[in-house]
Amino acid sequence: MGGYGFYVWGSYIASLIFFVWEVVSLKQRKKVLTQQQQQSSKPVSTPVLRGSINETTS
Amino acid sequence: MFYPLAGKLIPWFAIPAALLFATGLFVGFFIAPTDFQQGDAYRIIFIHVPAAWMGMFLYVLMAIYAGIGWAFNARLSSMMASSLAITGAMFTAISLITGAFWGKPTWGTWWVWDARMTSTLILLFLYIGFISLQAAIDDARRADRAGAVLALVGVINVPIIYFSVQWWNTLHQGATIRLLQKPTIRGSMLAALLIMLAACWLYSVAVVLIRLRCIILEREQSASRFAEVGV
Repeated sequence: MGGYGFYVWGSYIASLIFFVWEVVSLKQRKKVLTQQQQQSSKPVSTPVLRGSINETTS
Repeated sequence: MFYPLAGKLIPWFAIPAALLFATGLFVGFFIAPTDFQQGDAYRIIFIHVPAAWMGMFLYVLMAIYAGIGWAFNARLSSMMASSLAITGAMFTAISLITGAFWGKPTWGTWWVWDARMTSTLILLFLYIGFISLQAAIDDARRADRAGAVLALVGVINVPIIYFSVQWWNTLHQGATIRLLQKPTIRGSMLAALLIMLAACWLYSVAVVLIRLRCIILEREQSASRFAEVGV
């Protein structure tokens, strides 16, 4: 690079860091949202109480 | 309807972007010759100039979408503005950093307060201000309106950046390419520059669509939570 290697490669490496950061952060954001969506769409199981007060004793 | 459509479009922009980046870098590094004045330092142009153009272009686009969202209460438009902001800020930061790397060997300094560089730094601050303002306001509609005001006021900075090299006696060189004039750079250099610009544009569309889908999901989830609580 005629003595300019530090400046040329420095520019492209800095740019690459930005691009990678953006893509990785977007993937992470999407992953978190997808997990939240899956959790909110799961049916909530209501706990079954033993010895319910509605039971009648005969 | 837009959410699934955006999902289908993303690969059509992401894959060509990757291919064009590879092509542009190959042409820029292996086909374009060494500059007789600046030596190989000029090769920074292939990322610096497209990043600078994208930073300005995305700001104008962001202001347009924010304005439409505000004027017509169009939520998707406002969400698009929010989605554009981070990518635009990133490109502006890249143009400033690569400009500093280019300035050191050519001008002997990492930074000068000349018109173009100062106005580009202001553009970055405007982007950061827009992102921070939207993040600070919980209510999405109010955040969109506040962001729209800032974006529209700040758009005046873009022509200042563009014409700064003509209006003031600046250290920064003049335009590399002019629409109405024959380009003064060699064909292979121009080709690499335009290929990298196309790559940056396609990349921007892909990431903006991905982020927009995230924003749509976030707002839907937020609205569902409010509905459950009964607000």
